Amino acid sequence: MTALRDKHSVRDKHYPLASLEQVIEDAAHLLPAQGPIRVFIHHNTLHAFEDLPFDNAVQQGARIFGCHPYLPEDRYREKLARGRIKAADLEAVLHDDLGRRGNEPILHLGTRQELRLAMLLYPFRLAPTAELRWFVARTDALKCFRDAAPPLVREAFVEETRNWVMRDLQRRKENPTQTTDSRRDHQIGEQQIGEQQIGDVYIQEELTALLERFGESSIDRWSVETWETFTLQILWRICRDGVQSMKTLVLPPAPALRHRDLLLAATGQDSDLLVHEVLIRFCAAFLDQGFSHWPLPCRERGFYRAFAALYGQKGGPPDRWLRGLCKELARIEVAGLAPLESIFESLQLLGVPEHEWETFIPATLLALRGWAGMIHQMETRGDRAAHAAPPGSLVEFLAVRLILERLALAHVAKETLGFREPVHRLRQVARTGVRKLESLSVDQRAFLVFHLAQIRGWLPGELFRLTKQEWSTLVQEIESFSGLERRRILQLAFERRYRILALDALASHACRNSGPASNPRIQVIYCIDEREESFRRHLEELAPDVETFGVAGFFNVAMYYKGAGDAHFVPLCPVVIRPQHWVVENVVSGMDETHRRRAIVRRALGRLWHQIHVASRTFAGGAVLAALGAVASIPLVARVLFPRLTARIRQSASRLVQVSSITQLQLERSQSLPGPSPGQVGFTLREMADIVERVLRDIGLTANFSRLVILVGHGSVSLNNPHESAHDCGACGGAVGGPNARALAQMANDPRVRDLLKRRGLELPAETIFLGVLHNTCDDSVVFYDREQLPSSHEQEFEEIRNVMELTCDCNAHERCRRFEAAPLQLSLAAARRHVEGRSQDLAETRPEYGHATNAVCIVGRRHRTRGLYMDRRAFLASYDPTQDDADHAILTRVLQAVVPVCAGINLEYYFSYVDPAGWGCGTKLPHNITSLLGVMDGAASDLRPGLPWQMVEIHEPVRLLFVIETTPQAMLEIMDRNPSIGKLCRNDWVQLATMDPDSAELRFFRKGRFELYKPESNDLPRAPSSVDWYRGKRDHLGFAAIDMERVQQEEKD
Amino acid sequence: MMTSEFSVYLLGLSVVGAPIALLCILGFFSLIDRPLSERATDKLVFLAIFTGLLSSLGMVAVLLHHGVWRFTIELESLLEIDRYHFSVKLLFDSLSLPFVLLAFVLCATIGRFASRYLHREPGYNRFFVLYALFIAGMAVTALAGTIETLFAGWELVGLSSAFLVAFFHERPMPARNGLRVWTVYRISDAAFLIAAIVMHHMTGGGDFNTLLGKSPWPEGHAALSEEQALIVGLLLLVAAAGKSALVPFSGWLPRAMEGPTPSSAVFYGAISVHLGAFLLLRFSPILELSPVLCLVIVALGLITAGYAALAGRVQTDIKTALSFASLTQVGLIVAEIGLGLRYVALVHIIGHACLRTLQFLRAPTLLHDYHTLENAIGAHLPRASGSWRGLVPESVRLWWYRFALERGYLDAWLTDYLARPFLRVFQGCDALERKWTDWLSGGRSRESDRLKASSGSLDELL
Repeated sequence: MTALRDKHSVRDKHYPLASLEQVIEDAAHLLPAQGPIRVFIHHNTLHAFEDLPFDNAVQQGARIFGCHPYLPEDRYREKLARGRIKAADLEAVLHDDLGRRGNEPILHLGTRQELRLAMLLYPFRLAPTAELRWFVARTDALKCFRDAAPPLVREAFVEETRNWVMRDLQRRKENPTQTTDSRRDHQIGEQQIGEQQIGDVYIQEELTALLERFGESSIDRWSVETWETFTLQILWRICRDGVQSMKTLVLPPAPALRHRDLLLAATGQDSDLLVHEVLIRFCAAFLDQGFSHWPLPCRERGFYRAFAALYGQKGGPPDRWLRGLCKELARIEVAGLAPLESIFESLQLLGVPEHEWETFIPATLLALRGWAGMIHQMETRGDRAAHAAPPGSLVEFLAVRLILERLALAHVAKETLGFREPVHRLRQVARTGVRKLESLSVDQRAFLVFHLAQIRGWLPGELFRLTKQEWSTLVQEIESFSGLERRRILQLAFERRYRILALDALASHACRNSGPASNPRIQVIYCIDEREESFRRHLEELAPDVETFGVAGFFNVAMYYKGAGDAHFVPLCPVVIRPQHWVVENVVSGMDETHRRRAIVRRALGRLWHQIHVASRTFAGGAVLAALGAVASIPLVARVLFPRLTARIRQSASRLVQVSSITQLQLERSQSLPGPSPGQVGFTLREMADIVERVLRDIGLTANFSRLVILVGHGSVSLNNPHESAHDCGACGGAVGGPNARALAQMANDPRVRDLLKRRGLELPAETIFLGVLHNTCDDSVVFYDREQLPSSHEQEFEEIRNVMELTCDCNAHERCRRFEAAPLQLSLAAARRHVEGRSQDLAETRPEYGHATNAVCIVGRRHRTRGLYMDRRAFLASYDPTQDDADHAILTRVLQAVVPVCAGINLEYYFSYVDPAGWGCGTKLPHNITSLLGVMDGAASDLRPGLPWQMVEIHEPVRLLFVIETTPQAMLEIMDRNPSIGKLCRNDWVQLATMDPDSAELRFFRKGRFELYKPESNDLPRAPSSVDWYRGKRDHLGFAAIDMERVQQEEKD
Repeated sequence: MMTSEFSVYLLGLSVVGAPIALLCILGFFSLIDRPLSERATDKLVFLAIFTGLLSSLGMVAVLLHHGVWRFTIELESLLEIDRYHFSVKLLFDSLSLPFVLLAFVLCATIGRFASRYLHREPGYNRFFVLYALFIAGMAVTALAGTIETLFAGWELVGLSSAFLVAFFHERPMPARNGLRVWTVYRISDAAFLIAAIVMHHMTGGGDFNTLLGKSPWPEGHAALSEEQALIVGLLLLVAAAGKSALVPFSGWLPRAMEGPTPSSAVFYGAISVHLGAFLLLRFSPILELSPVLCLVIVALGLITAGYAALAGRVQTDIKTALSFASLTQVGLIVAEIGLGLRYVALVHIIGHACLRTLQFLRAPTLLHDYHTLENAIGAHLPRASGSWRGLVPESVRLWWYRFALERGYLDAWLTDYLARPFLRVFQGCDALERKWTDWLSGGRSRESDRLKASSGSLDELL
């Protein structure tokens, strides 16, 4: 009945549907922005908050999403113990943070800075009262000083107590009626005297009781340990007495806005469990990209209609709470409510007034954020999916959700509270049943002071003399440095340590090389990816006459690409770009027949295999297969026990039907407009020249070309890994970047393109040949493209570089293996290569590679600044030559436009997934369950889990990315002003920023809107003859070092 | 002669002994809170299973050599009163040996898999302790020569299964679903226990030799009347239905996919889910006494298979789809047993277990596989053709789709018609008792009512 009445009000009166829609749209921005997992694109988890400064954003995000903003405090303490944070960092960061306030004294117990430092350096226990009581009762917390208490303080404590007690005893013996006079000289108000004396009397009684317990008569013969215990007992009593009279801290009421939260708190029954069970199933069926045999009927009618059609029919689920669903849907149908109107009605029925929408609706959507986010993604970026969701799906999802929620709430309330009234009264009723949050208890506060007193050396006498006012000041001061604040400071200190290491290393290394080699034998251009840092370093070590460059791994070839054996076009470029061109790979004529035959065989095999896949899950097919099933034990056992061997056998077998390796990219377009059909595929010569010119100018390779220029794209292949795509090239939008390298090489080799370039002042020598390569970052293999087109004049260089590359692969695998616990530290180079090959083919391997884990710094500048510097695979390296840039810094601007968002996105995604693996990340991989071909769930059914799995991030160090850019501060400031997206990330502290002067290599660090000259802490950069010598035998994060074969040898001779 | 008999005795014993020893070693180090290293655990597990596997192969060789198809090892008689006796016996025959071999081969493979899959997982040791418990349970169940021994192994398997479902106990859903599995197992175990008692009453012992006749499986002949066979058979069927997730207990099987992938594979793809079928096979001489019983079994098997095939068609996640696929085959196997096709059922079990285990292990590679297949075929993967769909009115299609999506509403029915009355009765008893004690003590008699749970850490809020 109420519903009918509401309906009339809905129809007749003006009601704010538009603003409701706006609220939902705003809330949608909070949802995870990760698309289908097959194309994993790294992005800032809190992208929606980038307008806020980092600390505000993470703290606000943490409140909204219920996740950790920083690491838990004890994790920072572990880092402190392992030297990844130093006490000096804490001091410096505190000093910065507090400014002048740091020197203010807190009573006479030291300055604020000292107090906070003590709270940061030493852990203290702030457990619930019951646990504290247990802790105090069962441990020696009241018997011995804590380990961190300095010895001098301990002695002073005991000494003072002894004097105090002896004097007091003496006095009592002389004058039994008089109590202690230790406060005689303290100025206190009259009224306070009364209270103080009560306290006094209380302490006095405690003291007497204590003395009795410890054996007053034998006091002269007490051992040191007895005195220690006695002192601590007194201290504890003083602390407790001191905080006793203080007002209890009033905690802000928990923001329990949803009915479900209140009901859960009041009764322990979760109505979301019921709602989600139905909703997860339905969302998965609605979004399914082709996994289930039987697609959702009426899917084309949209989320709401499909749901109504399915559940509006009679004879539905017999669950008690769902019994009213059919009727409710019918009622809404009759009333003719659109989804948005239904949301409005549900809000009214739930008793949510308009001013609460802005918090209630996000909270409701976030309750099942993974699925809601995916619906939103499929609605807004449907171009990336096989089956997109129609517009308005998120609104329809919310409408369905609220209908289900009403039913579930009514049911749970009835079952647990016997509540039978309309739901809008529920919050009121439930709220009365919720227990108030306990504020900090006396014991907890006392324990804090008790601990700090031991560390800071606040003697019992001093504390005893504090007035009530002073106690309150002290406790407030301590409590104002809350857990959240401490973690913020610890995070800053953690970042500071790595920053100093990095900047010091750069400061002392940047001028070591005078400049690039004048006549490089071979030039190699890599992706900026930090995984290629080691590859470049090893290559340079093995072949000192090689010059390397770094450029975003799509090589500026933004295209939809379809390989000779691929079914669909895939976009190969950063996600912010929508490609305008299409490229296909064709089999070279002459191979046509073989190719066609193989394609037919492949198709037949594919169909057969798919049939088997499907049939194995059906009735009769399964039975037939099961009869032959024992055969399955052979691949089962082989693949698990001998993954690498099995993979080899499979590969050689599949070679029979593989796509021919002799193919060609169709790069040149004949028609004027680009498109996917045959004539429209490719680029015009001008476009090709633009692309080549831009890449070469970006990295500053405009003269001094070697005879062979190698372009290295990268990708990753692993098995049993739903997150496989997250290991691919980020600049290619989570795909393999080999075709881009190949395309650029083919373009640059085209004489007509070279003619155009020559006219633009960029002359490529005729004997310079470009060659594309694909580097597999998982098994560390390289594949050369278009090898057969290489002129015989270059054979020698080619053989050389191929051999060196193979060796580099071994070295790279070797360096990677030091981080894998399953790989022994003393592996040989060849064994390391075998190890990583096994990893990529092993079904049981949850860490085929560590991906971008440990990324921490991004250097944009000339390679000779960093060449020979060991950076532990932690640095993105983009090449940029400031001497070739124009006055407007056009080159730097476009380099940074690609580099900053991509690298910051990767770094921040790793930050969040590491800081709270279950909250921001997707938790451990072990129970993951691929659903709808879209993403993973935990176990049987759960919310969709966006973010990175723990196995990918476990060795990461969550520091914000430090950009070091070889340019002047003025240029950088101008670029930040001109490009809001870069400026926002830098000014709001989502990344750290420093510049390196192009001439003097001086470093300037960006802080609070200004670039400040950086003074290195030390000039001591360790040296090693080779990378292997530096990292051998070490598992953990490794510092910077100068790899300098010649110099070290020289010194040894001297 | 003496020595050779003794060595066969030892060989047979080590089939069960190896996994039990493994359990004891792993369990001991866990109990003293000094869990073994990953490497040591891995080696021990492999060694134990390999020993078990070799011994069982040895037993096969011995039996083949002597041409005996039934060999019993009597371990101990626990209790003998009048005509009742409880004893522990191991029975090696053409049912138990293939089954135990299957279990060892799969457990060895999955053990190797899990040792790499769970590398660096905090629950690594816990997983392998439970895994050892499972293997020990499996060996005992498969080789049991008396109904009591069988029950003991059956319980161990159930226990480890429920614990592994709840392996990630820091999240609420695994714990909930683990409890659900455990609850269903309770029902089936209760039925099993009653069946055992009834049999004891009828024949005076739980020894399969007396119960099912001395001729080797599958020929045995049970010494029961038709009515007795029907009663015992129905009870055993309930036990088997709970363990193998037959209708109406099927709801727990998809819910059991909460654990790490290898445990899902070995339990619900391979071994544990077939235990019900194994039980029916073991007692097949009883089944054949009652045509009614056979009919019921065939019907239940077919209904389960049909139900699972239907529900499996609409599932959208790989693990649930695979669990329903498993169930389809288990249903068929049960129907085969009802039809008396015992060897067919045995072969079916073995083939299905191997195939499904491989599929479960490869479940996380689904996207990769689909991508490869799409490229091979050159288009999106074809979906089921809907030629029949035009013939059926939409409302019927919707009804069936919803029925399948909601998994036949079995969970809701069980909750309403089985769990709820139970709960109601006990809650009623509780209320009565409370009244009663309040009246006796003249006030509120339960201190626990007034206690509140701890409020949790306040650290983050300070």
